[in-house]
Amino acid sequence: MTRLLAWLALAVAGYFLPAALGGTTLVYNTLVVTAIFAVMAYGQDIVLSDLGEVSLAHTAFFAAGAYAAGILSVGHGWNAWATLLAAGGAALVLAVILGLITLRTREFAFSLVTYAANVVCFTVCYNWDALGGSDGFVGVPPLDLSLPGLTLAPMTNKDLWPYAYGLLLLVLWFVARFRRSRLGHAALMVHMNAPLAIMSGLDPLRVRLMVFLVSAPLTAVGGWLYAYQRAYVGPDLFETYFLVLMLTAVVLVGRRVLLGPLIGIAVLMAQKSFFSLGAYADKIVLGALLVIVLCGFPGGIVSLLEAGRTGLRRPAILRRVAR
Amino acid sequence: MNVAQQLANGLIMGHAYALTAIGWTLLLGAARLVNFGHGQMYMLGAFVAWWAMRALDLPYWAAIPVAVLAGGVLGAIMQRAMLRLTLQQNLVSLMIVTLGFGQIVEGAAGLAFGAKPQTLASPLNAITLHWGPVLLTAQDLLVVVATIAMFLLLHFVLGRGLVGSWVRMVAEDPRLTQLAGVNVAGIYLGIFAFEGAAVALAATLVAPRTPIITSMGFDEVIMTFVVVVLGGIGSVAGSYVAGLGLGLFSAFFGALVAPAYTTAAAFLIVIPIMVLRPGGLAAGGARR
Repeated sequence: MTRLLAWLALAVAGYFLPAALGGTTLVYNTLVVTAIFAVMAYGQDIVLSDLGEVSLAHTAFFAAGAYAAGILSVGHGWNAWATLLAAGGAALVLAVILGLITLRTREFAFSLVTYAANVVCFTVCYNWDALGGSDGFVGVPPLDLSLPGLTLAPMTNKDLWPYAYGLLLLVLWFVARFRRSRLGHAALMVHMNAPLAIMSGLDPLRVRLMVFLVSAPLTAVGGWLYAYQRAYVGPDLFETYFLVLMLTAVVLVGRRVLLGPLIGIAVLMAQKSFFSLGAYADKIVLGALLVIVLCGFPGGIVSLLEAGRTGLRRPAILRRVAR
Repeated sequence: MNVAQQLANGLIMGHAYALTAIGWTLLLGAARLVNFGHGQMYMLGAFVAWWAMRALDLPYWAAIPVAVLAGGVLGAIMQRAMLRLTLQQNLVSLMIVTLGFGQIVEGAAGLAFGAKPQTLASPLNAITLHWGPVLLTAQDLLVVVATIAMFLLLHFVLGRGLVGSWVRMVAEDPRLTQLAGVNVAGIYLGIFAFEGAAVALAATLVAPRTPIITSMGFDEVIMTFVVVVLGGIGSVAGSYVAGLGLGLFSAFFGALVAPAYTTAAAFLIVIPIMVLRPGGLAAGGARR
C-alpha cells in the first residue's frame, strides 16, 4: 500500500516537473521528447532485459508508428485515435513477420537478421514515393484526440506535455504489469535457464515470439506521438542514433529496473538540451557512455550502488573473498 | 546494355566489397564479433589518408600506411577496452559496445575533419584503360590486385604456421586455448588490430572512387555486411566468393531492375540464409 502511494506521489510530482524546472519552452520541449523516447526505449527494454537479445529492428518499429501517423493523417485525413491503432497494428504486422523469420535465431544471428530487416525497411521507405520517398511527409497536423463534447487538441509542446506524460505513465504501468505477468516470468526463465524453462512446460520459441510481439507496438506508439510532435516523418527515423539512444538508455542505469530506461533517456536528453557540446561532441558523449558502462560495469549504475552497499555491510573477511 | 562493361563493373565492385569485408570476416570467425563500428572505421581510414595528404603533404602512396597504422591502433584500443567482455564471450554486450565506438569515431572525425564532403585523390584515378568495349581505371585494377593479395595472405597465414593455428584454436574454444598456454588476449588484440588495419587499407583503395564525408558511416560499407554473412561466418575463401557474387549481382540488378533497390534485394537474400543456415552458406566447410 505504501509502495503504491509512493508510486502515485512520484507520478503526480513528475507531472509538475517541467513547471518546477522553470516552465520555459526549452524545458517543455526536452521533457516531451524525453517522454516520447522513453516510450520508444521501453520496447527495446523488454527485449534486451527480459529476453537478453539485441533487436536492431526496433528503429523500424519506431518508424512504422511514425509513418502510420504521418501517412494516414496527411494523406487520408485520419484522426489521431485511428492512426494510433494503425501505428500499433503496423508494428505488430512487421513484428509477426520478423518474429516468425527470426524464431530460431539467437544472439548475433538474431541481431543480424533484425538489422537486415531494418535496412530493407529503410531502403523501401527511402525509394518508394507512396511512403514519402527521401522527402518523407511534411506538415503532419498537430495531435487532435478530441472526443464528442471534449476538445483534446494540444498545439504547443507545453500543451502536449500532459499527453506525452500520460502515455509514458501508461507504458510504465504496462511494463510493470508485464514483468509480473505469466509471460514476463516465462521470458525471464527462458532467458536465464532455457532447459529449465522447457522442463517446466514452457515453449521457449513461443515465449520469445510473444515478447517480441509485445515489444514492437510499445516502441511504435512512441513513434506515433513523435510524428505529431515533430510534424514531419522521414527516412531519418531509421538512423542509428535512435538505436544507440534506446540501447544506451536501457543499459545505463541497469537492466530490469522499471525506471531505468526513463532515467537513461532523461540524462541523455538533458545533456543534449542543456549541456550540449555541439552535435559531434554529443555523439562522443553518447558513444562513450555506452562503452564505459558496458566495458566498465556491465550491470549499469545500479550494480555500482549495490556493490557499494553490500561492500559496506559485509564483514571485512567476506569483502576480501568477494574481491 | 554493355554486358562486358557490367561484368567488369561487377567484378571490380565485388573485389571492393570483399576487401572491405576481410577484417570483419576474421573478426566474426575468430571472435564471433559483429562489429557495428566497421563503417565508421572505414570512414576514419579514408579521412586519415586524406588528412595525411593535405596536412602532411604526403603523396597518395605514403598516406596509405599512415591510415593503415591508425586503423590498426584504433582496433587495438577498441579490443583493449572490450577485453573483459570478449573473454566472457558476452556477445550481446559486445555488439552494443561496437555501436558506441562507432558513435565516438564519427563524432571525433566530425570534430577533426569537418562536415564537408572531401575527395581522396588518387593519381591512379586519372589513368583510364581501354580493353575492347570495357573501360576502367588503374585504381580499379589496384583494388582487384590488392584484394587478391590480401586474401591469399590471410589464407596462408591462417592455414599454416603457429599464428594460424592459434587463431583457429581461439575461434573453436577460447577457454581451452587459454589452458593450453596461449595468450588469448594477445590473439584477440591481433585480430582486432588486423580488422582495423584491413578496413583502413580498403578505405584508402576504394574510397578514391567516390566522395567521402564523415557521416557516411555504415551506409558506405553496408554491402560488407552481406558479404560477411553470405560468405559463411568467418570463412575467408567464402567471403571472397560472396564478395564477387554480390558485386556481379549488384551490377546486373542495378542495370536490369532498379539501382535504388539493390541494397534491399541483397538484404532480402541474406534473411532466409541467416534463418536457414545461421552459420552462413559456407558453414560446415573448413574455417579457412
